[in-house]
Amino acid sequence: MFLNSWSIALLICGVLVLFLLGLAARSAVRVLLFWDPESDSNRQIRLENEIWLTSTLVEYGLGVQILSLAVFVLAADYFSQSIVGAMCATGSLLANDFGIPALMVKIGGVFLYGYWIVLHQLDIRSPKYPLVRLKYVYLLLLLPLVVLDLALETVYIAGLTPEIITSCCAVVFGDAAGGGTNLLSGLTHGMSLVLFYGSVLLLLAAGAVLLAAPRPWLSLVFGCLWLGFFILALMTVTTVFSSYIYAMPYHKCPFCLLKPEYRYIGFAIYAALFGGAFMGTSVVVAEPLRRLEEMGAAVSGYRKKAVGVSLLLLILFTILSSYHYVRYLIVGGEG
Amino acid sequence: MKGALTKHLNILDYTLSSLWRRRSRNGSVLIVFAGVIFLVASFQFVTGALTETALDSLRSAPEITVQRLSAGRQTEVPLDYGGQIAGIHGVREVVPRIWGYYFDEVTGANLTVIGVDLERMPLGEKLNLTLAEGEVPEPGSTGRVLVGRSIKRIVESKGTAYLSLFRPDLSQASFAIAGVFDAATDVLTDDLIVMDIGDARDLFHISPAAATDLCVYVANLEEVPNIARKIAAALPDARVLTRSQISQTYQVVFGWRSGFASVCLLTALAAFVIFAWDKASGLSPEERREIGILKILGWETSDILAVRFWEGALVAGGAFIAGCTGAYIHVAYFDASLFRPVMVGWSVIHPSLNLVPSLQVSTLLLIFCFTVLPYMAATVIPAWRSAIVPTDSVLSGL
Amino acid sequence: MFIELEGVTKIYNQGQINEVVALRDIDLRIEAHTLNCLRGASGCGKSTLLSIIGCVIQPTSGRAAVAGLQPARMPDRFLTVHRRRCIGFIFQNFNILPALTVRENITLPLVPLGLNRRAMAERVNRLLQRFSISHRGNFPAGRISGGELQRVAIARALVNDPPLILADEPTAHLDSGLSREFMEYMAALKQAGKTIIITSHDPQVTEHPAVDRVIDMKDGRIDVS
Repeated sequence: MFLNSWSIALLICGVLVLFLLGLAARSAVRVLLFWDPESDSNRQIRLENEIWLTSTLVEYGLGVQILSLAVFVLAADYFSQSIVGAMCATGSLLANDFGIPALMVKIGGVFLYGYWIVLHQLDIRSPKYPLVRLKYVYLLLLLPLVVLDLALETVYIAGLTPEIITSCCAVVFGDAAGGGTNLLSGLTHGMSLVLFYGSVLLLLAAGAVLLAAPRPWLSLVFGCLWLGFFILALMTVTTVFSSYIYAMPYHKCPFCLLKPEYRYIGFAIYAALFGGAFMGTSVVVAEPLRRLEEMGAAVSGYRKKAVGVSLLLLILFTILSSYHYVRYLIVGGEG
Repeated sequence: MKGALTKHLNILDYTLSSLWRRRSRNGSVLIVFAGVIFLVASFQFVTGALTETALDSLRSAPEITVQRLSAGRQTEVPLDYGGQIAGIHGVREVVPRIWGYYFDEVTGANLTVIGVDLERMPLGEKLNLTLAEGEVPEPGSTGRVLVGRSIKRIVESKGTAYLSLFRPDLSQASFAIAGVFDAATDVLTDDLIVMDIGDARDLFHISPAAATDLCVYVANLEEVPNIARKIAAALPDARVLTRSQISQTYQVVFGWRSGFASVCLLTALAAFVIFAWDKASGLSPEERREIGILKILGWETSDILAVRFWEGALVAGGAFIAGCTGAYIHVAYFDASLFRPVMVGWSVIHPSLNLVPSLQVSTLLLIFCFTVLPYMAATVIPAWRSAIVPTDSVLSGL
Repeated sequence: MFIELEGVTKIYNQGQINEVVALRDIDLRIEAHTLNCLRGASGCGKSTLLSIIGCVIQPTSGRAAVAGLQPARMPDRFLTVHRRRCIGFIFQNFNILPALTVRENITLPLVPLGLNRRAMAERVNRLLQRFSISHRGNFPAGRISGGELQRVAIARALVNDPPLILADEPTAHLDSGLSREFMEYMAALKQAGKTIIITSHDPQVTEHPAVDRVIDMKDGRIDVS
């Protein structure tokens, strides 16, 4: 299903990210080979200038990747209109073996490119640029991910044919445990909510302690808590909160939230969740760098900002995702 | 954080003034870019509007349509197939329908003729709501038809009050025009003649025990695929079409056409990206001097990069708004007259479409990905080259 | 010591065919709150020396310390921030951007600081008043007189209140009246506590009574003869 606008848009995004990060990787190779901070040769000056080029390329690449993620989900929703049994993006993504992996790789890309930018921002705080080599090795390691992203997306689109029969979200995410097709069986409604709100409180507490009495090990714990919460939050939004937003008990879908009929609330919910998770987990990336020369103050400053922003976004995410559920508890259902 | 925000606002201020100072260069890029976006957006809006119109038209279609194939081509379906289908559990109603094309030699138009039993057809009583003038004939009454606006015009141009059609044996059948469809239904009715099923049978010489298709109405929509399978199993020579299959086909066809057009537009886009790169790359001595001065005065490389980013974003943003607005007006008020031949089919009669482009975030995001993203990517390296102008070039003697 | 250079050498295109030794083994100490002149013929290296003191470029070897920063092996970013805080530049031909207004030109060094509009306007207005060019605030800088341009250039150099002012051949294209006026301003700034270094071979500059020291340069070295 290449010959439609959404597929072409996705491929454009994928090629752009490959182009931007490919160029950045080219600079990375040059820097790794010839970087000599003690020299003031023309080449060293050129390499110092190239640091700005790579950071700009990765920043643009991250921007395109974030948009690409949104376009991927919207494209899957569009494809669902041509695939038998698919009523929304969930069905499209399950229509072949590459949809969900492509989505996972895209989400991973957003986080991993973002971490590079965190490393870069920390690096330029110190006059010695102590993270240059680490940064550029990491950049080179990202390149296979970029290629994988484009490859998976291409194979996924190639594998879509309108005659495929797939499942819809009510089957995939529904409560019916006996069907064998249900992806999230095992967690009851109540358990999910207890876990969810419990995790929110735990994260808030951990963040508050970390801000008041910073400790390296606490940063790592905080980051890991965020990672776990991210996965839990995605599951809870899908299996619990979404059906209150749709006002339909059997409509449990993580993607339909992005549609205009639900006032695009999905964008706000996921922006808050992804933003919070990124800031929270980036603390794990920054913390080990504290030991490097002249990095202490920069890492502390970053940690404080990251933790603060992640907690604010956590609160925002909790309010946005819980609103319809709480409203239902207070006011009741429609009609 | 607040300081960083204020700094970006200050840089934005400077960028606006810089854009204005180089308005001829930036203006040319903006105009060309807006033109490219106009093309891409027009296609997207037209596709979206046509797809929605087509899908809308399917809402009142039967859940399942049964036709008969012989040697791979559609032929008459016996009415007693309807009896077999009606016996399947879950089928609410089976209504025969006759439809075909009538080629009018004088105008060269292919008219669509539908013969229905208005009493049995669901929503038949609502047909009055679709008429701009006249009224639906009584069920069973013959010799009176409902026509689309273009057909009314054709009849009037001949100076008669009757629509005359020829049977296969060249005998003439005359019909009085009982009603004319409203302009709002043009996309479906402009070349349509609706008559009693008996009249259609007579016009096309179709046997009384046959029809062209059987409209199957199902009580529970969840059961449609099951019932369709059962019908196909019971009647091996039947072609069984569900409404969702037709809808998917529309999606694929419109999607294909739009995609094909998008591929063609990619060449225009590529040309524009090269043009934009070229414009962004040329740094005049004055611009080099300006950047050198800024850097000596304390602007970092990242600040210059921010200026270039905002320049690109403002030009792209302005072009995006102008292009999309132009496209909306083109589609909504001029019926996408530039592109209709690509999107609309082969008929001689072209209804006035009254397309309503859907301004959804997803459509705008799609247009954005096609146009703004490649442009911004093309300006990265030129922006960086301008930001690394050596500071010492501003001082004399060097 | 406000500025200290020890064994500073600057070689352009080192190791290549077009290698140029611009500065050789420069030892220089400059005290705070003084007005100094660097004098020498064209190509003697005084602009290169000024660039090193101004943290625009870095020495190839040797040690330099300027207003608390050692620019050697500093990434450009840190040099820029230091320049922003501590150094005001007055260029030959003033290097004012003619398409911008007088006010906009003076505001340029403030943009990266992240000050809000009101704070920036206050600083700029104070300087416009001090140099009696308030009435030209909204004029395009390309349309004002030479004397007014000179004052705009000085105002721009002072807008961040830097302790060090560097002027590169500031009177090269000015008549004697404006040159004299320029030196009066420099004298006043020295009185106000600034440290000033001017490169020039104009006697109106080098022989001005306010000048504390004249440093002669020849062939990339300080001429002690």
